[in-house]
Amino acid sequence: MSELEALRVRDEVLQAMYWMNAEGLAERPAASELAGFLAVPAQTLGPFLLRFADEGYLDQKGGRFRLTEKGIELGKRSFADEFADLTRPTHGECDEDCWCHSSPEEAARCLEDRAHAH
Amino acid sequence: MPTEPAPALPKNFLRPCLLLLLREEKAHGYDLLERVQALGFDGSDPGGLYRALRALEKEKLVWSAWEPSVNGPDRRTYEITRAGMEELHRNAKAIASGQETVARFLSRYQEFVALPRRARAARPSRDDAASVR
Repeated sequence: MSELEALRVRDEVLQAMYWMNAEGLAERPAASELAGFLAVPAQTLGPFLLRFADEGYLDQKGGRFRLTEKGIELGKRSFADEFADLTRPTHGECDEDCWCHSSPEEAARCLEDRAHAH
Repeated sequence: MPTEPAPALPKNFLRPCLLLLLREEKAHGYDLLERVQALGFDGSDPGGLYRALRALEKEKLVWSAWEPSVNGPDRRTYEITRAGMEELHRNAKAIASGQETVARFLSRYQEFVALPRRARAARPSRDDAASVR
């Protein structure tokens, strides 16, 4: 595994584990559960998880993995960083007459009108 | 014991469903996992939900932020963006069009299934034939 790939996978794994934990879905998932969650083969993910445990991001016990304090901190931060360039939705800025409050037919018509306007 | 097959859902149906649910109100992951069950999903694939939300966010169709929690780790709360609402309307239009196609298919299928039944009904039964003799 290349260092760059390991960094990418680390962020992906820590973010997913943080999300699972925060949603109360799994605090200590097995490698197979994490692999299923991320839709990657378990045999591919396994060596990465062992490496992240060695690096102190994960705590491994009985084939299950849990985020350490270091893992929690990085998982949360990298999650926010990944989507940091996205701005808050503009929906909250709509006025009462915004098309998105109208019927689906009105919305579809409005969408077409605006598409043709460009 | 044979079980009922899961209803056939359109490909990538989870995307418009998530946009619809987020159009109704902003939500966090577990909430969406529960609410999506009313739209035909069994709620047993949190990974699919997570990946779909990330993809929607990368496409700027949803937006998320940490919501502080007093009992545990902060949770990610998702909201739909204006681009997401436009995508929702596009998807709804495509689904409505697909519904018409499916209705035509079912109408023709039901006609085809009804044909042998009508033919049987038109044919005299053995009892009828015996009484003629």
